[in-house]
Amino acid sequence: MLERLLSLFRIDTGKRDRNQGTTVFWIIAGTASTLLLMGWLLPWFVNDYSAGVGYSAQDALVSSPTGIGTFCIYVMAVAMVILVLSPIAEAIARARGSAFGKRADRIRFIAALVGLALTAVVWFLVSVIQEEPLFGAFTAGTYTDSAVWLEMYGFAMAALAYGARDWVVARQSVAFGVAALPFGIFLPLMFHQAPDFLLWAAGSLAIYMLLALGLNVVVGFAGLLDLGYAAFFAIGGYACASFASPIHNIHLPLWVLIFLGAAVASMFGAVLGAPTLRLRGDYLAIVTLGFGEIIPDLATNNVFNLTGGANGISGIDQPHYGALDFSTSPRWYYWSLLIVSIVVIVFLRNIERSRVGRAWVALREDEVAAAATGINTTTTKLLAFAIGASVSGLAGAFYGSIVSIVSPDDFSFSVSIAVLSIVVLGGIGNITGVILGSFILTFVIFWVLPNMNEWTTTLSTTVHVPALAGIDFSSYTFIIYGLALIAMMLLRPGGLLPSRARRIELESAEESESLAAVQGVA
Amino acid sequence: MTIQSGTPEAPLAPLGDSSGVAAPMLVDQRSLAPRRDQSNELVRSVGPVIRAAYGWISKHFAAVLLGMILVAILATFKQGGLDLMGQQLRNALVLGAIYALVAIGYTMVYGIIELINFAHGDVFAAAGFYAVFIASTLHLDSLATGSFGGLLLALIIVFPLSMIAAGITGVVIEFVAYRRLRDSPRLAPLITAIGVSFLIEGIMLVIEGPDNVATNQADWITGTAFTIGGVSVAWTDIFVVGMALFLMFALGEFVRRTRLGKAMRSTAQDRTAALLCGININRTISATFFIGSALAAAAAVIYSINYGDLKWNLGFHLGIIAFTAAVLGGIGNIVGAGVGGFIIGLIYVFGGSIFGGEWSESLIFAVLVLILTFRPVGLFGVEVTTRA
Repeated sequence: MLERLLSLFRIDTGKRDRNQGTTVFWIIAGTASTLLLMGWLLPWFVNDYSAGVGYSAQDALVSSPTGIGTFCIYVMAVAMVILVLSPIAEAIARARGSAFGKRADRIRFIAALVGLALTAVVWFLVSVIQEEPLFGAFTAGTYTDSAVWLEMYGFAMAALAYGARDWVVARQSVAFGVAALPFGIFLPLMFHQAPDFLLWAAGSLAIYMLLALGLNVVVGFAGLLDLGYAAFFAIGGYACASFASPIHNIHLPLWVLIFLGAAVASMFGAVLGAPTLRLRGDYLAIVTLGFGEIIPDLATNNVFNLTGGANGISGIDQPHYGALDFSTSPRWYYWSLLIVSIVVIVFLRNIERSRVGRAWVALREDEVAAAATGINTTTTKLLAFAIGASVSGLAGAFYGSIVSIVSPDDFSFSVSIAVLSIVVLGGIGNITGVILGSFILTFVIFWVLPNMNEWTTTLSTTVHVPALAGIDFSSYTFIIYGLALIAMMLLRPGGLLPSRARRIELESAEESESLAAVQGVA
Repeated sequence: MTIQSGTPEAPLAPLGDSSGVAAPMLVDQRSLAPRRDQSNELVRSVGPVIRAAYGWISKHFAAVLLGMILVAILATFKQGGLDLMGQQLRNALVLGAIYALVAIGYTMVYGIIELINFAHGDVFAAAGFYAVFIASTLHLDSLATGSFGGLLLALIIVFPLSMIAAGITGVVIEFVAYRRLRDSPRLAPLITAIGVSFLIEGIMLVIEGPDNVATNQADWITGTAFTIGGVSVAWTDIFVVGMALFLMFALGEFVRRTRLGKAMRSTAQDRTAALLCGININRTISATFFIGSALAAAAAVIYSINYGDLKWNLGFHLGIIAFTAAVLGGIGNIVGAGVGGFIIGLIYVFGGSIFGGEWSESLIFAVLVLILTFRPVGLFGVEVTTRA
């Protein structure tokens, strides 16, 4: 029994679908180009261009076009231009029907290695030999070392993509892990001067990614539309808040609470799932929606004086172990969530390919046929609900601990829709797609939109369009969710990275009529 | 059974029938043996009880629900006497009339394309803002408050215009978001419906702001019509209920008597067969959306005249409540939706007066969950139908 349970956490490195491998290759190559550009432009964006001499690589080029350091930067720039433009050229060539050969890959591989080496040299020149005129001093005020991190990582990723293209295509999940994992681990070091960015990564991205992964089990794997998913999030959050705050004078450690939150939420998932199993997809959606509205209502109305009413519960404990203080720096939350996310992803990937996962797919495709092949539809559906809810409860416990306050407003219907948008955007039923979707959507909603007001205010003063300053972009979130859902369903129903089974299912025009006829009652 | 061996036209023994000659070789007998009951003692003893209780409740759901409403009404009577009960009954009727009008839109769309039109509640809210816009552009407020004739004129202008505007909105939504997904799996149009709902809410949030927007239409109809005991019935109350009943009656006649209504009914029954009979499916579905949205618009104007304020997300909760009414009446059933709306109004108001107003919405959602759990076909539905 324990062995079977542990086997669900085993990391699987088998070969996969070649088609998706190509997608992963393009993701890695594209990300590499983006990182290179970001690293090059970062000092420009963050610091005032005219404020000091030589804050960025461009400034170095402008100010002193001599010396070994500047030569290195010139070569670096050439390598970067090759790596940024060549994927675009290759995409155009592919669209026209011709392809780049092995030689192009080799050139790009060499360019990436040269760029990587030169970035290291420049960094060495600046930070160790203190060649001030080149870059400016490495002080806490500059963002130069974030830029160096990004450049180096971009070059390394490009080297991986072009140097080992066949391997990337063949072993796509391993390659994706190799490319993405170090970035995830080093992120707090890369952006140590931007704690709010880290807080975004830990607080919004990781939490929403966990939520989306959990919802993906219910919607993607088992095909049951759950519109009240925020309810389980709320249950996890309130479980954490109740047992780690002054409100009831109980103080349990977070590591116990995440399991407690997951357990309580999965119990609720099963309880909700049990009576609604007979219902067809859209009715189930409505029942879960009703449930998702009742839970925050219960919290608002302070049922049994447990939830603190509309103000919620504040002062939730944050872990503190000597120097390792979670409340002062978001990086500890970030790393904990990284580990938890990886464990959840591995677990969900394995369960997708297990007997249960195949049962879910069978159930999703045709319930009657699934039942006829001996699948116990009741327990299988309940399991989907319970597992999906438990991931949500876990995320909720973390959320409560990070923000240190939970209130009913945090768990409104729009949270459920945000999570659903992530799943739909990324690719229903595809874990990689869901992760990608959570990156994109949380970046837009929780990073771009809040900062957009500031950017447009700056822009409106520069270009003298006062109308721009008045727009409040934070109210555009609903429009973005709506457009994401509509556009994805109409144009690319499988999502950005469709899962293969789902693609086939969504593109086939026929829906199983037998299900409706046999179920009858609904 | 006896086997007439030797005769060539001997019927084949059914598969697995052990008396058949060839059967033992075809089918492994062990696989046909009844499966050992693996459930434990508790499940075996409790299971039938639960099943029986479930069956009883789902069979007598209407009686249980109406009985509970009656108890709530009587409790209110005990709490505040005849006056409170009468006032609450009046409130319930007014609220129920609005729910009924919105519910009809849900039920018509579900009946014809089996889609929960999530955007319907938001079309309702948008229509409220249309009406405000129309009234302010045409300066109807001063006209309506001036004299009775002016009021009549204002109503005659504002109702059709906002109904047409909302109807067009509904048709556009159907055309853009639902038509292309009509034959895809069920989840796809449902997800776009949610998307459209959020899009409309987002647009209203951007344009109208996050707070309640007061409309001047609360001053259109004023005064008390009559007073029975301690219950004063305002002219607006009469207007609301009368208008709603009139529109529902008109819709009923329309669906029953006109060619388009007949086309709608037949499309709802069997789309392919309707197509074979020469009915233009697309046009019929568009018409359904138009009528449903127009009724929501009428409800929105009534709402605005009665309550005097609107909000960007008004349509969300009101939409779910109206949907509950539609499910209660048996989805696809227009008369059921009308009656369901009034029942939901009763539950909302009397539930609120017993448990406190902050529980009203939770109560409705709980009723929704209960109906769908125990009696998904609605109060008036038959137990087994091919169509929900």
